[in-house]
Amino acid sequence: MTADAFIFWFLSLVAVTSGLSVVMMANPIYSALSLAMTMVSLAALFATLGAYFIAGVQVIVYAGAVMVLFVIVLMLFDLREETKAFTRGQVSGALKIAMIGFLAGLIVMVMAQGVKFLAAPDVVDAAKLPEDSSKALGLVLFNRHIFGFEALGVLLLVVAVGTVALARSKGGTHAKH
Amino acid sequence: MPSTDVINQIGLSHYLVLSAALFTMGFLGVLMRRNVLVMMMCIELMLNAVNLTFIAFSKFSGRIDGQIMVFFVMTIAAAEAAVGLAIIVSIFKRYREVNIRFFEHLKG
Repeated sequence: MTADAFIFWFLSLVAVTSGLSVVMMANPIYSALSLAMTMVSLAALFATLGAYFIAGVQVIVYAGAVMVLFVIVLMLFDLREETKAFTRGQVSGALKIAMIGFLAGLIVMVMAQGVKFLAAPDVVDAAKLPEDSSKALGLVLFNRHIFGFEALGVLLLVVAVGTVALARSKGGTHAKH
Repeated sequence: MPSTDVINQIGLSHYLVLSAALFTMGFLGVLMRRNVLVMMMCIELMLNAVNLTFIAFSKFSGRIDGQIMVFFVMTIAAAEAAVGLAIIVSIFKRYREVNIRFFEHLKG
């Protein structure tokens, strides 16, 4: 087994295992830790795919900022052990699992069909992608996608104001006037 | 299909199947879990699976635009997490509980 293949299989094993434990763990703090582990392994996968800047942002934003938000809110709640961690009802649960199996088969089938229409994607290697992809990313981001970038700035401002307003209001979304 | 070595030849399909598996896990969590916080974590998991698809296509088609899209998705996801957690905090202030069966009617 080559080194690249070993790295891929190891990282995907870690990602799938920790992703499953996000769903399966009864205690939410373990779910949060598993999610952070999934984020880190996905960041390593991004790095193996040549997206170094995105890998760094993934670690900083997701595994750093977003997970800290989640853990702080969890600590704020001081939850007792979750008694009904999963959905109730045998029939509806079986129905949901069947739906999920159907969706998984559908996704894999669509991807397997879609790959055929690409120009032999396994043959085209990373030669066309520039070596320092961060510089190319910056050039494209600040030239072709500059309007989207600025719109994101406005959106983040609106979200910051809205979050503070929402968290301060008495009763939140269920406020009685 | 010239590359028959599934173990050693890592192609686009490997990343796509991994991404589909992670997305389905997130979907499973959103459907099965009752804790709103864990449901939001599963939504983040689904977003990450989609990001993996974008990055894999960006690598194997040799274009940088997929990484731009991932950049945007990450920003939106951070904003979504902030707003969702604010809503969860206000739900908790009202009901002292984050189980979804307490606010399934969406009215005061």
